[in-house]
Amino acid sequence: MIGKKRTYRIVPYLFLIPYLFAFITFRFGPSIAGFFVSLTRWNIVGQARFVGLQNFIDLFRDPNFMRSLINTLYFMLLTVPALVVGGLLIAMLVDQSLKGRIVTRTFVFMPYVIMSTVVGVIWLWIFDAHFGILNYYLSFLGIRPIAWLSSVNWAMPAVAIATIWWTIGFNMILFLAGLQDIPNELKEAARIDGASSWQVFWNITFPLLSPTMIVVVMLTLINTFQVFAQVYVMTGGGPAMATLTVVQYMYVQSFQYYRLGYGSAIAYVIFIFLVAFILLEGKFLKKSGDLN
Amino acid sequence: MIICIITSFAPILWMTVSAFKPEGEILSYPPQWIPLHPTWSNFAYVLKNFNFARWTFNSVIAALVATIIVILIDSLAAFAFAKMKFHGSKVLYAVILSMLMVPIQVTIVPLYLMFADVNLLNTITALILPTTGNVTGVFILTNFFRSVPKNLLDAAIVDGAGSFRIWWSIMLPLARPSISAVAIITFMSNWTNFLWPLVSVSSDASRTLPVGIAQFFGGQSGVSGSAPQYGPAMAAALMATLPAIAIFLFLQRYFVKGVMMTGIKG
Repeated sequence: MIGKKRTYRIVPYLFLIPYLFAFITFRFGPSIAGFFVSLTRWNIVGQARFVGLQNFIDLFRDPNFMRSLINTLYFMLLTVPALVVGGLLIAMLVDQSLKGRIVTRTFVFMPYVIMSTVVGVIWLWIFDAHFGILNYYLSFLGIRPIAWLSSVNWAMPAVAIATIWWTIGFNMILFLAGLQDIPNELKEAARIDGASSWQVFWNITFPLLSPTMIVVVMLTLINTFQVFAQVYVMTGGGPAMATLTVVQYMYVQSFQYYRLGYGSAIAYVIFIFLVAFILLEGKFLKKSGDLN
Repeated sequence: MIICIITSFAPILWMTVSAFKPEGEILSYPPQWIPLHPTWSNFAYVLKNFNFARWTFNSVIAALVATIIVILIDSLAAFAFAKMKFHGSKVLYAVILSMLMVPIQVTIVPLYLMFADVNLLNTITALILPTTGNVTGVFILTNFFRSVPKNLLDAAIVDGAGSFRIWWSIMLPLARPSISAVAIITFMSNWTNFLWPLVSVSSDASRTLPVGIAQFFGGQSGVSGSAPQYGPAMAAALMATLPAIAIFLFLQRYFVKGVMMTGIKG
């Protein structure tokens, strides 16, 4: 180890200073400060007034906030299962030694490199009620035109579809990494013993994949709960608040109404939910030890 | 697999096709996959009527500078965490990692107040600095540096190399694959970042691509009653997307590696 010698003692801190400065100023400090702001009533002009936990109490009496919370959970219900199960299925598909698997992997991952707001703009056009290409093809199936983004019932599923398209490649890559860590001999041995492919999957692949599964589910929960840019572009939270999400509500309260204390309280509720997801998942899978 | 390819690619292709359609053709029904009269007019319209070039410049500069800073300061810190003994290293490292759980949203209001206080809102500096406090890079590089064998460093010490020298001429070259992955993660997250640029920038000249596109081509941008201009919107979308897809196709290996590493962070 370097640094054992007396002359090196100061060196570690010299190496750390630039990063620590950035970390404390732009990440750690603001995170703590956010909590104190959340305890105040603070409009951008005027003084901050300490109000304790009043903002949090108000939040849970605020029907718009509850609406955004329910919308966000509904969005997760629409996206998380599809992203996890779909991601796994595609990963298993391209894990087989079939021709074209690398091309498939490339194409499925490609949307992920597009920026979120551009994803929103592309799908805005696809979902257009009158001229959109989706309604055109659905008409072949006998489905009448759907006013996707201006319908209270369809706006959120539309945002969910765009999001699934955009991020499923990310989960596929993670699952693929997990699948490739499973030794092939195990599966082959089971097959020789007469196991069906379903049995191989259920008894060998799936259990050995559980560390990957934990990570994928957790990242998916965390990311979908923070949905914002697609909604901002595609619906702006409408129609009639049908797609208002928590992060968007935080943005609106903080930077359109400039209620900084209230906005920070929403941000801290987001934090609490993320921690809850992580704890719940750990408990649910009873394997939280794997996380570390 | 063919279904996967088609579903993944069709929207991208449709964007591309639409970008080249003249105004009258874009709303033609049934939709045409091949423009009858391909035109550059949508691109010209975007470049002429919007500060598109400026937004692109801002995005590229912000992402590039942030990436360079992150790689330098993160690798320095990671080297210290992985290979040096000092008081408080474990606690410090744990505090840093714990921030992985804290969502970026909680920092937005304080960052806004901070940058407003020093009059740096609406600057590229404001777009760059918050990225530099990120945790993932330190985590990935520390993990890598820990795997570097001790005797390699001992040999260098015997040869009289100082810590800085070891960092620069041994650790950094060794870590090239991990550094590439960190570079891509950092670049992409800054390049696509939306919330902070939306909040910190209000003047058009300082906008980034994601914000400019959202505000001028998003669903809320059209004057009420008039249909959004899909042709120019798709041209803008294509111009913002092509570089990213090109880079992705060339550096696919590192992208995949970057994703796998963010996954491991758990």
